[in-house]
Amino acid sequence: MSEMNTGSRAMEPSENTAAPETATAVDAAVEPLIRVEDLHKSFGSLKVLKGIDFSVEPREVVTIIGASGSGKSTLLRCINLLETPDSGHVWFHGQDLTGEHTDVNALRTHIGMVFQGFNLFNNKDVLDNCTLAPIALKKCDKAEAERRALENLEAVGLSEFAHSDVKKLSGGQKQRVAIARALCMEPEIMLFDEPTSALDPEIVGEVLEVMRTLASNGMTMVVVTHEMAFARNVSDRVVFMDKGVIAEQGTPDELFGDPKQPRTREFLARYLDKPAQDSPAPAGA
Amino acid sequence: MSSDQLPETTDAPQPDAPEQEAERPARHKGRLVTFVTATHRYVLLGTSAFALLGVLFYIQPASSWSFLGGIADVLVGLCLGWMVFSLIALIYKLTHWSDYGQVAPMTKPKAALYLRYVSYVIWACVIMLFIDRGVMGFCSLVESAIASDTNPTDFLSSAVYMVYESRTIFASGILTTIELAVFGTVIAFGLALLMCFLRIQTPDRSDNDASKFLKVVGCGFAKVYSTIVRGTPMMVQGLIIYFAGFAAFKGTGMSVTQITGVWSFFVAGLVTISLNSTAYMMEVLRSGIEAVDPGQAEAARSLGLSQWQAMSKVVFPQGIKNAIPALSNELVINIKDSSVLSVIGVFDLMYATTTVAGIYYRQMEVYCVAAVCYLILTMVASKLLTIFSNKLDVAQPDAVPSSN
Repeated sequence: MSEMNTGSRAMEPSENTAAPETATAVDAAVEPLIRVEDLHKSFGSLKVLKGIDFSVEPREVVTIIGASGSGKSTLLRCINLLETPDSGHVWFHGQDLTGEHTDVNALRTHIGMVFQGFNLFNNKDVLDNCTLAPIALKKCDKAEAERRALENLEAVGLSEFAHSDVKKLSGGQKQRVAIARALCMEPEIMLFDEPTSALDPEIVGEVLEVMRTLASNGMTMVVVTHEMAFARNVSDRVVFMDKGVIAEQGTPDELFGDPKQPRTREFLARYLDKPAQDSPAPAGA
Repeated sequence: MSSDQLPETTDAPQPDAPEQEAERPARHKGRLVTFVTATHRYVLLGTSAFALLGVLFYIQPASSWSFLGGIADVLVGLCLGWMVFSLIALIYKLTHWSDYGQVAPMTKPKAALYLRYVSYVIWACVIMLFIDRGVMGFCSLVESAIASDTNPTDFLSSAVYMVYESRTIFASGILTTIELAVFGTVIAFGLALLMCFLRIQTPDRSDNDASKFLKVVGCGFAKVYSTIVRGTPMMVQGLIIYFAGFAAFKGTGMSVTQITGVWSFFVAGLVTISLNSTAYMMEVLRSGIEAVDPGQAEAARSLGLSQWQAMSKVVFPQGIKNAIPALSNELVINIKDSSVLSVIGVFDLMYATTTVAGIYYRQMEVYCVAAVCYLILTMVASKLLTIFSNKLDVAQPDAVPSSN
């Protein structure tokens, strides 16, 4: 079902931005996994998000690119309500996260998040980092949680570090543990907030490799990144944000090959002469 | 070896002894051990200073407990001999300033080594003299002070005499001080956990109106409590609490004897010190918790943990670890600050001291004894707490396997 969906919908959002009223029309059709509607957010007098309309289909990999301060991370943090939006709605599976009586904690268990600064629990070892939330929330027993955690650590190539202190891991290892930790909750969607920005170029690859595998396994992902090669090769749709609005979005080929907006062209021009770090590995759609 | 050093070092003053130790002592051995076991330029000077101490001990009058007798003369002779030798070396150094390291007989490696061995003998002599004149002298002073029927006139004997004569008063005072400080700190820690829990409450969007209201009220209460308690002296708090408690019990129609049975000075003092310390410990805990990276809580919330779960499972364990040094310091502070509770009549060390000073009318000696007692108590407490907090911080010994 998703193959067709992602294929057809990948084109739609570019029209959505042009005419926001079409967003309501989607209600009648199949509800996307995440739908953001007219989202506004400001920190003090600084307006960071100025009316974002945006949706993510199941099994879709969306990358959000843009200059620093354009509101990429804030948008991502609004999706799981780490930042409370000033106005607008975030719908997850048709449930309004921003609603007054929504159980945000329950909905967050379905939305995994990976941070720029890893944010591993410093008082726990690697395995406990992964099992803390499943044991606390799903009430599954310790052995089951540990078995699943080891599977996920195996998937990111760190099963032998299960009992290491997280403070002793390298940055790339920490980020891979963070991904495994999020996967242990078996989320329906993963949000990546600049997952490689705090890493040195040499170990960026190991994290991107894990993310690429995740994408090819059909995980729905929203990735805020400065890794243009990743955006180009792995994602189904690229969203370019500028000054708190979505300036342009489309398939990687559209956005990178033939950017419509002058601002997009200007932004991408800075990355053109950079050699691609990733080998071409086109995913799903 | 000095000859091949010559070309580049002739005009610079040379170290007295060449640095010839093959393996440099490891850092963890400590400076003192390094200083004692290495052959270096300070052997002569350092040991001379020590030998001078020995001479000073020697000129003290020998006490009745003295055991050295004529041997003391031999020991001090050795010390003086060393000092004379050092003086010769010093003169030699002054006359051969530029090439002392090369020409002086005492800087030859063999000579330097033997000098170091001899310096150990000098150290032993000084230690013997210290035991004979210092330790044994004090013992005999204690013996005569205890046997004395009247308060001796000299400072030390008088202090020993008064401590011995009123030992039960001091003992119960010290015991009360320890009880106040330890129980007070433990109770305050429990209360501080509760208050800190109130203090850090922030309304979460998933809360209903009732719990939002409670959180705001709880946080406000904790802030006001902290401001009042930290802004007034404990002596005033103690007096208010004692008399307020007394009045409250009186209001229930109890007689004065019944009230003093329940609301004793000690209980009032314990309540005061607990409530006072709570405010400080609350702030210490709060700052420890606030020092935890906010990303930790964010990560926990992003996994779906509630505010309370994120706090109790992730943030709080790290916060309390941050706060342990300052929390344990609170015990040391309480040992000292419990002294102001003597104004409401708590029979602590300070009250005991004042009592003894009143009996003998010798203030200086007794208050110095109190100071020494407090010093010993705080030093022991902080040492124990250091050991305790080091135990909590056990580093995980497992080595990191290499990355794949």
